[in-house]
Amino acid sequence: MSVAVEVENLVKVYRGGVRAVDGISFSIGEREIFGFLGPNGAGKSTTIKCVIGLLKPTSGHIRVLGTDVRHDPGAVKRSIGYAAQETAVDDRLTGWENLYLQGRFYHLSRGEIRRRGEEVLKLFGLWERRNDTADTYSGGMLKRLDIACALIHRPRILFLDEPTLGLDVQTRKTIWEYIEKLRAEHEMTIFLTTHYMEEADALSDRVAIIDRGRIVALDRPGALKAAIGGDLITVRFSDAGADLEPLLVSLRGLDGVREVRETSDGVHRIVVERDGDRLIPRIVRLAEEHGVGIHSIRLKRPTLDDVYLHYTGREIREAGGSREELIRTRVMSRRIRR
Amino acid sequence: MTFLSDVWYVAWRELIKFFRSKVRVVVTLVQPLLWLGLMGNVLQGFAKAPYVQQMLGTQSYLAFMTPGIILMTVLFGGVFSGISIIWDRRIGYLEKMMAAPISRGAIPLGKMLAAAIQGGIQVLIIVFIATGLGVRFATGPAGILLIVLIAMVFSTILSGFSLSVAVTVKTQETLMALVNFLTMPLMFTSNALFPRAAMPAWLAAIAKVNPVSHAVAPIRELTLYGWNWGAMYTGIAVTVGLALAMALFAQWMFHRATVE
Repeated sequence: MSVAVEVENLVKVYRGGVRAVDGISFSIGEREIFGFLGPNGAGKSTTIKCVIGLLKPTSGHIRVLGTDVRHDPGAVKRSIGYAAQETAVDDRLTGWENLYLQGRFYHLSRGEIRRRGEEVLKLFGLWERRNDTADTYSGGMLKRLDIACALIHRPRILFLDEPTLGLDVQTRKTIWEYIEKLRAEHEMTIFLTTHYMEEADALSDRVAIIDRGRIVALDRPGALKAAIGGDLITVRFSDAGADLEPLLVSLRGLDGVREVRETSDGVHRIVVERDGDRLIPRIVRLAEEHGVGIHSIRLKRPTLDDVYLHYTGREIREAGGSREELIRTRVMSRRIRR
Repeated sequence: MTFLSDVWYVAWRELIKFFRSKVRVVVTLVQPLLWLGLMGNVLQGFAKAPYVQQMLGTQSYLAFMTPGIILMTVLFGGVFSGISIIWDRRIGYLEKMMAAPISRGAIPLGKMLAAAIQGGIQVLIIVFIATGLGVRFATGPAGILLIVLIAMVFSTILSGFSLSVAVTVKTQETLMALVNFLTMPLMFTSNALFPRAAMPAWLAAIAKVNPVSHAVAPIRELTLYGWNWGAMYTGIAVTVGLALAMALFAQWMFHRATVE
């Protein structure tokens, strides 16, 4: 498998001094769907923008299909497609005009645009609506049009920054289907960022978990999940006090238990190798023996959510809560709007 | 070649949107009619006095003010062109264009071209209405063509300025405030609507250096008198020079604001 994108020690410090990307390295193989998972302000968009030549990296090397972005940004731009986080469709133009304009910006001929435009609009189910102005489109249609525009020049790599942000579940699933179709039928390499766990899980061949400008884990979703153990039992004990500690010691001694940890919101997470369902009665019995009441108990198969929590110590939805990160997010969204 | 194509398609997008917006098209048609029909006729009365005619250099106030209305219209049109770039930045379209392999400089230039074309169309409408109201253009169709060209070049000064401000301020409200603060004084400290001879000395001094006065001079010459190049070349040179300077300045501002 040859390499589509190669990033080495990428650092991006914005003019205000915010270190958005702090030494990121990864590489994406051709025909791979590579997911960047992290909360808002983690540095996902900044990384994409450096790779596609919209931002100048502070330091580090980026090669796209073997070409250094700094040496030949034009060649890189022609070989990639990019659909930004905000759906950049001019809603006073028709779907076709949006596409036509994009084709012209890539210096395609009228004939090429006509052929290719028909192909992508049909692929994305927008052909019938091509002559309607985009302000009559639904959110999902706008996003599809936006992605279709990014494909007009037959790029080999497609960059999707939060492709389903703000869309409802149904529409998200549809967008996923289109993304999978692009890879299967058009042999594309796809780099996508998301802060939806299911999205990274459902689509990506490999996932990089990004937190505060660094990659904290990078592997296949299955491997990432396997790394944190088999099943996960979460227990909320009712006010236990001094009795809790000896109970935790015995829990750790149970056969098949890998780890017992307390999370920030007072829930205990018990990672077990397999067959978590069989362990639950034993946990309940042990708690009774120690005189600790159980408020609730839950078993779940690991998801990327748990992986994220495991590597960052925070749930993805509570991430970005600190003051520093709030400022970081704000600075970043200001950048994005610019 | 690709640069020209980039400029054209940036402009193409603005023009499509302009013609699609019925309100904007109607306003474009009605506004000069109001200015010429109302103001031109209201003030016609005082042009009956011989000393006023001497100051105006013509017997018809309408003919005197038509060049002024032409410039006022392109001026008001040009200063709004910055709004589109603020809008593009908001919806992410600016970024989308910059992610494509187009030359960055084509973006501000294309927007200026769109403003100039819109302005040129408006000028033709004004010429048509003025003719209907009885103004006779001394230099005929060739002169009218040159009038349209001068007005288009003049519009570049304003759209270039507006774009330069727009990439810096980033909000439409600030842009509008700044632009309104400038356009009215710019208009009324020129001799576009009133003859310099009727102004107090200090105002006449301002009017003499005002770029609007420089642009109005050749247009007035072509409207009222004829092909007197001697009376026109300074005005044309100043207008073209300023337009070039503003186009370059806008390029530079745009580049500075989008590279990081």
